[in-house]
Amino acid sequence: MSETDVLRMFAEAGYQISPDAAELIASQSSQDELVDYVLKNIDDSVLVVDVDDIDLDGFLSHNGNGSENDTSTVTENSAEPELNCSSEPFNASPVTHSSQLQSSFSPDLSGKTANPVKVISDITNQSTCVGEYMEFVQYFRDRYSKLSEIIRGRINARPVESLTKNRRLGDGGNNDEVSVIGMISDVRTTTNGHKLIEIEDNTGSLSVLVRTADKELFEQANSFVLDEVVGVTGMLTNDKKLLIASKFTLPDLPNTNFTNKGSHGKAVFISDVHVGSSTFLEDEWLRFIDFLNGYIDDKKMQDISNDIRYVVVSGDLVDGIGIYPGQDKELSIPDVYEQYRKAAEYFKQIPEHITVIIGPGNHDAVRQAEPQPCFGEELKSYFPKNVTFVGNPAMVDLDGVKVLMYHGRSIDDFVASVPHVSYQKPTTAMVEMMKFRHLSPIYGGRVSIAPEKHDHFVINQIPDILHCGHVHTVGVEPYKNVLLINSGTWQSQTEFQKRVNLVPDPARVPVVDLSNMKTSILKFN
Amino acid sequence: MTEFVASESMMEYFNNLENKLNYEIQIAGKARSHGKDPSSNVEIPVAKDLADRVENLIGVSGVAERIRELENDKSREEAALSLGKEVAEGYVGNFESKKDSVESAIRVAVAMLTEGVVAAPIEGIDSVNLAKNDDGTEYISIFYAGPVRSAGGTAQALSVLVGDYVRRGLNIDRYKPRKEEVERYVEEITLYRRVAGLQYMPSEEEIRLIVENCPICLDGEPTEQAEVEGYRDLERVGTNRIRGGVGLVLAEGIALKAPKIQKYVKKYDIDGWEWLDTLMSGEKSEKKDDGGGTEESGDNKKSEKKPKPKDKYLRDLIAGRPVFSHPSRPGGFRLRYGRSRNTSFASAGINPASMVIMDKFIVAGTQLKVEIPGKAMGMAPVDFIEGPTVRLKSGDVLRIDDVNDAYELYPQVEHIIDIGEMLINYGDFLENNHPLVPSPYCFEWWIQEYRNTVSDTCTDEELEDLTQDDALRVCDQYNVPLHPKFTYLWHDITPQEFENLARFVSEHGNLSDDNSVLQIPYNNADDNGIKLILEKLLLFHKVRDGMILISEPLPFIRCLGLNSNLELKWDDIDFDDEDAQYAVNNVSGVVVRDRSLTRVGARMGRPEKSNRRKMSPVPNVLFPIGDSGGNTRQLDDASNYKATMNSKVGEIKVEIGIRECQSCGIETYECRCDCGEFTFPKMSCPWCDIKANDGVCPKCGAKASSVKTKNIDFKSIYQKAFENLGERDNFESFKGVKRLMSKNMTPEPIEKGVLRAKYNLYTFKDATVRYDMSDIPLTHIRPDELGVTAYQLRELGYTEDIYGKPFTKDDQIVCLKVQDLVVPYDAADYLLKTAQYIDDLLVKYYGLEPYYNAKTIDDIVGVLLMGLAPHTSAGVLGRLVGFTKASVGFAHPFFHAAKRRNCDGDEDCVMLLMDGLINFSPEYLPDKRGGKMDAPLVLTTRIDPNEVDKEAHNIDVCPRYPLEFYESTLNFTNPKDFEDTMDIVNNRLGTPQQYDNFLYTHDTTDIAAGPKISAYKTFGSMLEKVESQLELADKIRAVDASDVAERVLMSHFLPDLIGNLRAFSRQGTRCVKCGEKFRRPPLSGNCTRCGGKVILTVHEGAVKKYLDISSKVANDYNVSEYTKQRIEIIGYEIKSLFENDKSKQIGLSDFM
Repeated sequence: MSETDVLRMFAEAGYQISPDAAELIASQSSQDELVDYVLKNIDDSVLVVDVDDIDLDGFLSHNGNGSENDTSTVTENSAEPELNCSSEPFNASPVTHSSQLQSSFSPDLSGKTANPVKVISDITNQSTCVGEYMEFVQYFRDRYSKLSEIIRGRINARPVESLTKNRRLGDGGNNDEVSVIGMISDVRTTTNGHKLIEIEDNTGSLSVLVRTADKELFEQANSFVLDEVVGVTGMLTNDKKLLIASKFTLPDLPNTNFTNKGSHGKAVFISDVHVGSSTFLEDEWLRFIDFLNGYIDDKKMQDISNDIRYVVVSGDLVDGIGIYPGQDKELSIPDVYEQYRKAAEYFKQIPEHITVIIGPGNHDAVRQAEPQPCFGEELKSYFPKNVTFVGNPAMVDLDGVKVLMYHGRSIDDFVASVPHVSYQKPTTAMVEMMKFRHLSPIYGGRVSIAPEKHDHFVINQIPDILHCGHVHTVGVEPYKNVLLINSGTWQSQTEFQKRVNLVPDPARVPVVDLSNMKTSILKFN
Repeated sequence: MTEFVASESMMEYFNNLENKLNYEIQIAGKARSHGKDPSSNVEIPVAKDLADRVENLIGVSGVAERIRELENDKSREEAALSLGKEVAEGYVGNFESKKDSVESAIRVAVAMLTEGVVAAPIEGIDSVNLAKNDDGTEYISIFYAGPVRSAGGTAQALSVLVGDYVRRGLNIDRYKPRKEEVERYVEEITLYRRVAGLQYMPSEEEIRLIVENCPICLDGEPTEQAEVEGYRDLERVGTNRIRGGVGLVLAEGIALKAPKIQKYVKKYDIDGWEWLDTLMSGEKSEKKDDGGGTEESGDNKKSEKKPKPKDKYLRDLIAGRPVFSHPSRPGGFRLRYGRSRNTSFASAGINPASMVIMDKFIVAGTQLKVEIPGKAMGMAPVDFIEGPTVRLKSGDVLRIDDVNDAYELYPQVEHIIDIGEMLINYGDFLENNHPLVPSPYCFEWWIQEYRNTVSDTCTDEELEDLTQDDALRVCDQYNVPLHPKFTYLWHDITPQEFENLARFVSEHGNLSDDNSVLQIPYNNADDNGIKLILEKLLLFHKVRDGMILISEPLPFIRCLGLNSNLELKWDDIDFDDEDAQYAVNNVSGVVVRDRSLTRVGARMGRPEKSNRRKMSPVPNVLFPIGDSGGNTRQLDDASNYKATMNSKVGEIKVEIGIRECQSCGIETYECRCDCGEFTFPKMSCPWCDIKANDGVCPKCGAKASSVKTKNIDFKSIYQKAFENLGERDNFESFKGVKRLMSKNMTPEPIEKGVLRAKYNLYTFKDATVRYDMSDIPLTHIRPDELGVTAYQLRELGYTEDIYGKPFTKDDQIVCLKVQDLVVPYDAADYLLKTAQYIDDLLVKYYGLEPYYNAKTIDDIVGVLLMGLAPHTSAGVLGRLVGFTKASVGFAHPFFHAAKRRNCDGDEDCVMLLMDGLINFSPEYLPDKRGGKMDAPLVLTTRIDPNEVDKEAHNIDVCPRYPLEFYESTLNFTNPKDFEDTMDIVNNRLGTPQQYDNFLYTHDTTDIAAGPKISAYKTFGSMLEKVESQLELADKIRAVDASDVAERVLMSHFLPDLIGNLRAFSRQGTRCVKCGEKFRRPPLSGNCTRCGGKVILTVHEGAVKKYLDISSKVANDYNVSEYTKQRIEIIGYEIKSLFENDKSKQIGLSDFM
């Protein structure tokens, strides 16, 4: 069932439904039942059905043993043709393998695909850019239209052009507040310390003044970065050239309650393995592989190991070649193909019943410009069948849990631009991504972009987990029901990091319980 | 020490120059008194010595006098330190605060260290501040700006020492850095090296050592756009951007010149600098690592005998600039010690035949980056040394010493076995403090050994070309080593090769009856590698009728240990030897010395330069016309400009300095009112628009300015200028500037531009006309090679030749006088036109008599010029004595040194003195950092060798080096050991001999021999450049073409590809109509300012430009897998970015 179908069903029942809510329902397995359930239980005062109004937990308990039901349905779903990078169709884990496992995997004994992976969005094979000027324009227009759409539901905004042209406003009668939605093109500080923000939409541009006296507002504006889209409410000055801001509206996530996705088992999140680097921590990495195989004495760890269904890798699988000047001196494997062969060797040691999803990072042998497509055919062919390749960024559905994977190059830009964001707390940058619903807003900084028709960095669909890497520090933080994870590294401190004062958190792995999003961090050093 | 000493004739020379200078100042003064220029006096102050220059530059009165006193018994550096201390403590000068006195102290000291020539003390040291340590004590921080570069490493480093020296007197504590500040330096300097480049990069440990211990805080203004990433927003560091001055002072100053600082620390017993020991010991160990090079040094035996190869000069190889020799590799430049009249002072000689044979990349003035003794050297043709040894297509192997032969044989050359000798003088080893390296066994050495043993009446010329019989007879009779002519490069072959060769010659050789020719069968010798061994030995031979013919073979046969019947006289040799040298000495029974152990690796640095100084676009006059002249700034267009349909023709809006007539109150931009009174800048507040005579607005306190945007009737100004001069407006091109850069925006009179345009002359930012040239030294001249006659030179005071004979003939050699210059013919033409322009100006504009009356270049021999180097602010008086076909400016090394240049490929400029006197004004100089550089703020009239850059003191001026010198080169002796015994300039200082009777060891027939323009400058496309570079690499034995290819890819093409790829994905955009720039394309798609079309600034073409060449070069020259993969990945990336996945291009072949 598509979102349109959901929309139609609610409309027929006399309700409006918010896009997020429609999306939520569409992403569920037993949609018809769910719609019935929602309609039956909805408060009469509600006109527009939002995510908050959908009591998934209640529905699942109402519906009896949800998880079993779900699993089987999704399994069927996964057979549908989806954007899937893997050259091979998913292979069901052989029963023999599963039978080695302990009790918790009972549902898998059915012999069907144990760990479905659905790729929801990914640039791979969808890249249309050829490097023309209009593509750059389209790219930013797409960002504006998607994000302004989200904000438009919350304020009554008008085009920038209309502010300066509308005569009624000019006749001194401009005491009314006006709202606009714009993309930030410049942020300056005036000689008096006020902030002057230049915003633009498709029709024109406007200067917005944030006064130091408005402390909270000013504080909020401090974390604005270039090329984000914000809604501004305020008063126009008489010459209509300046808007004095009184309120900002961000495309922030809606406040929702936690809803069980009906999944089970565990997923581990890693990134920045840097195979081939002379600072790659092989001993620690092999300990991790042993853990995945259950070769571990600690009983608690063994229990965790037994539960693992997914390993998610967000970029920098290998150290690559020519990424920075003089890299050849810091490589133990100076051949990029050898690096991937070595990496593939490691991944072959991961038990086949665990599904691995790998996206690229800035050290990988794909284009540097983001969004990055997944590895090429040759590299993919080195890896075993339980590995799925996606681009960067990519949204994947792991048995009902939506994971947005992004390597995290933009965190460099956030650290440089937002005062409270630091490398030591990588999730602070990820919170900014969520607030502005964009993974990499700043143009012209550290991130190279490919001018694609669609801005793949806009967080249109809300994930359950946002997984980044790149900065080599570990962080886990929930933000409005989205679990933010930065997964550290398998590389000890490099010469470069020493110079820029960056202390990495190597060999630490966040593990998430897919049924309740509870997270623990395992150490392998 | 500072007393001026010169012979009578030199005194006369200086007096003549000064008289003529004074006469020209008089004329210029007369012209300027008309008031048509910013000042009615000549605006270049004349300085008779260093003390004057320093005082003029810094403006602390009393300094000049004190310098003269101090210099009586102290060296320059010591005097600078003492003077600094005295200024800081208030004995000299008068200052309000501690801060001011410390600041002046450091400036004065640096000015003195740099001979008062460069702009560093005024522009490079922005300020000196006092700040607080964490323990509450005070410390000094010096705030450096970019132009501190011009001070050079030593003065930069000593500025810190001066700071430390004076702070003690004032009881200021040392700087105690915080941990994060130390790390900030480490990150910042590493980054600075990446974005701007450093000559020397200290290790991270060295940087920490320096910062933690340096008693002065090094600070500075940001010079690069790049920001540090790790250590940001530090409390005591004002910027996150890179501070270039800090990087320079720390790396190229303190780290690189630690030994020099230590010298003075010890002398003055300054404590707290003990860490320099650690720094220097570390530096040494690093240098050793650097020497790793491409050639592995084997056992001890070899490393004792030969210098260690260093490959530093090969770094950052650029496409199109070839490598001539890999480090210390056989076949590369063979070192020859000596000095010719056109070498020394960081320039070296090579045979002009080498220039021709190596595809004409090197010409006189071309800069080469070299392995030893310094980093770079300018090249000069010297045909008294050996040229290249080549194998022709016929198989013949011969050496080409004559440049005409080289041109003739060039098409037949198949392989360049040896690229010839490079003449480097002892002084350059001394200057660079580089240990002497083994001398080749050359004639100069041999003849001293011969004369020590044998007394005969033979002349040197007779002995230079001995017959084979005489050569062997001398050996046998007197036990003198074998003559160099018959000494082959036995050290380049292995004992095994030696044995093979000896046995082969013994078995297959055939000696003619008269012993004149040895024949060996060609095919057999070729198949067995014997011919190759002959080539390695540089044994010349011909190939005729299937036979290899070796003439004068007896010494060769003797060296192989064969008797006259070609029978082997020995059974066994020691194969453990590094090379065959020992065996040869053993079996031959004669002393055979190492012919040419030292090879000098080299690659092309930058090409020679000889061109008119042009700004871009090229103005004829400094008059602002805004946008009215279009992009080409044509004044004619401006005079016909119409802002709108209804505006007046020729009325343009420009920013210009407003002046006011004191008597009639009229506003004008001219320096003199029509009423005859002088005008003065009318200062007003730019915001309040009210008069502000004190320079500050009485209402708002803002800085006042005389600049206003004003409508001017340009058409009538323009027409009037032509009328005034009686010239017609028929120039093809006559350009002004868009906007003036100077503080008061005073324009030049249009009339000056009219006359410049008439003679096709261009003006520089300071209103002078200049000609740029690469510097090459010259100590002796011959009239016939300079396009002048002995008669003309006699008129200029040249009376006798180097042997003291009367100077009458055009082919006699005379010593060049220190302020006389030789310029290229093109420069002469340009100067001639300038002279004609000056005459026109005098007659038609100032209403005076013409001065030069020059019709041909012959008429400008003897005119006064001014030399001025970039980054400096002091001109040096010069005189034109001749012309050259080479594209370089020849002058006495002292003249170059007075401008603080050496001749390692630097360039600077000359201008007509009168042009500077009449037209130059500081009023025109740009009002920005570095604006005062490259302008003649002061003129040095007389060169005192004591007051020029010390580097010139290390030039040797003797006719020959002693035997002990040659012998001790074999032991890698420190050149300082000969400092006192060698006839170098330093030992002549303070005597009349400091100017006279210089000599040289090797002559050259023609100082301008060889090709005139480097082939590099004739290539068009990058592909052509790279192909030529690699073609030459393939031809030269000493060059590894695949390594060259790899280096070009790594240091030029790949960074370009990656950089452009990155730039493409982060690029800004630009409006084609109004030029507005956008960081990101506007959402509306069009220009938000004017609605014009917006375009990308980085295009697909720029990104892909080097991809195909890179792949081709990588494959053709089989570079490393690593580099190949990098290119491959970049190729994928480009494809992924510029190709649509969904509409793959379909080629014609898809249908077939």
